[in-house]
Amino acid sequence: MGGLGGVLGLRGGNRPPRGLRHQLIYDDRWFQQLMVLPMQLIIWAVLVVPLLIALYLSFVDWQPISGLEWWQAPFAGIENYRRAILDPRFQSAIVRTVIFVGAVVSVEFLLGLALAVLFNRKFPARRALSSLLLFPMMLPWVVVGLIFFLVFLEKGPVNYLLRVGFGPAASVDWFGRPLLALFTIGLGDVWQWTPFMFLVIYSALAAVPPEPVEAARTLGASDWQIFRRVTLPSIKPVILIALLIRALEAFKIFDLVFIMTGGGPGTSTESVSLYLYRTGFVFGQLSFASAAAILLLALVLVVSWLGLRPLRRELEL
Amino acid sequence: MSRAAHGRARGWARLAVAAVVLLLMMLPVIWLVSLSFKPPREWLATPPSLIPRNPTVDNYVVLVAPGIPKGTIGEVVGAAQPVTRAFVNSVIVVPLATLASLGVGFLGAYGISRFRVGGNFLPFSVLATRMFPPIAFAVPLLVYYRSAGLIDTRLGLILMYTAFTLAFSLWLLKGFIDGVPRHIEEAAILDGASRWRVLFTITLPLVRGGLAATGLFVFIMNWTEFLFALIFTSRTALTVPVQISQYASAVGRFYGPQAALGLVASVPVLVAGYVIQRYLVRAFTFGLVK
Repeated sequence: MGGLGGVLGLRGGNRPPRGLRHQLIYDDRWFQQLMVLPMQLIIWAVLVVPLLIALYLSFVDWQPISGLEWWQAPFAGIENYRRAILDPRFQSAIVRTVIFVGAVVSVEFLLGLALAVLFNRKFPARRALSSLLLFPMMLPWVVVGLIFFLVFLEKGPVNYLLRVGFGPAASVDWFGRPLLALFTIGLGDVWQWTPFMFLVIYSALAAVPPEPVEAARTLGASDWQIFRRVTLPSIKPVILIALLIRALEAFKIFDLVFIMTGGGPGTSTESVSLYLYRTGFVFGQLSFASAAAILLLALVLVVSWLGLRPLRRELEL
Repeated sequence: MSRAAHGRARGWARLAVAAVVLLLMMLPVIWLVSLSFKPPREWLATPPSLIPRNPTVDNYVVLVAPGIPKGTIGEVVGAAQPVTRAFVNSVIVVPLATLASLGVGFLGAYGISRFRVGGNFLPFSVLATRMFPPIAFAVPLLVYYRSAGLIDTRLGLILMYTAFTLAFSLWLLKGFIDGVPRHIEEAAILDGASRWRVLFTITLPLVRGGLAATGLFVFIMNWTEFLFALIFTSRTALTVPVQISQYASAVGRFYGPQAALGLVASVPVLVAGYVIQRYLVRAFTFGLVK
């Protein structure tokens, strides 16, 4: 793999050469700044200023229906934060989402690894089958939600199969009970994103250099030993990146929940995003939602910092 | 058994396992396709059938023409809205936002790849827009959009989608531009070509494959985006995913047309995804993994 730093282009090879020629070619500040100007504007518009506004809103008491403009709203101190931290719905949405992410990402990883190992040797129609395997992750999330909603309907095909297999009483109300509903949502996520894990691991396996594997085999290592001691360590950085990206992505989950259960029954399947959507945009408590959003950003920042730690040496961050 | 024959047998065993896995994976989609061709009576029929007994295209027709003849599907459809407006919006918003994102991303990627403008901080701050849950940005953006009159407008969505796919454009294109040897550009500059000319007549053509792949990926991201579209549009500028959710929630037992709409909405992204499958690892990991 040559180290992630190399892949990222953050070290050595990317630095311009020195000297007069270098000055002539690379010392044009005006041109250089112009290149990144549109990007800078966007970063300010959607990252910096909104975060400042959110920070401001989180310390005032503002609701759009109050008739006041947001900058006229009365100061509220840390009241919004206090309420957010103490809100049992927010707490359980966070805990639920974290557990959900842990569960689905682990399952996706294990299934993806198994599939990648399966596809790692040549067999008939391998190419066609592997590209067929990728299509769920291209589908719109809402369509995945729709598919799993329709398949798990009370009078849908899954329940029919259950009745055929286990008798007339085996029918299950998949969206009526919290744990089952979460399980069904998780199934949708696993269905859609196992292909991602498969694809990443599969291409990493294909890039493992053959020499160390041959050497280990010559020395009498078993297939399992080779996989465990040679192959796995060499694809580990790629796996870590894939896990981190997938976990951050899964943590945002909104579409599947919105379509399949709407957070119900009650609030028992609410993800963090859905909770914020409801408080902020359905009930218009924008100040409260801002405080919750800031807390969420802090949480994501800490988690991804911790998650990046094993990668830092290679990323040179 | 000879060694070769043994290997072949193992190959077939792998094929068998892979085929079973794929079949299981495809079943929900096959069900969706089947449902989309079924008349209302068969939507929840017991026993369900994978092949429609009386196949019909009514579910597709009803998407564009709610005034369907009586006796077919009319009473079930009720007050369903035609989906044409959502498709028109998506067809306008998504490509424009994709092009804008590519343009901004290409310039930025060039600046960062060649001159390292902004060091590591700038590219990583762009990445941050993708790291945090988008709902966290939605609250303050609503404040903007209210005062700018951008709510429920196509322009509002285009701006937003340009910004939130920039991370992909920037990082993917940076990877492709890094792959263009800089001595070609240096030679042209020393020969007296202007920087702009070098950028557009040397670098740009050399990364056009990468631009196309990045563009298609950003297209997929924009076409499937739901949360912002849900929050920032209502009637006028709603997009296809929002339309799907309205079909799924507002009109309860509307299963056939729901399935049809879901399939129609998926076709463009499936095609785009198939074309760029070689680049998908790279794309989904912002070019961190190649």
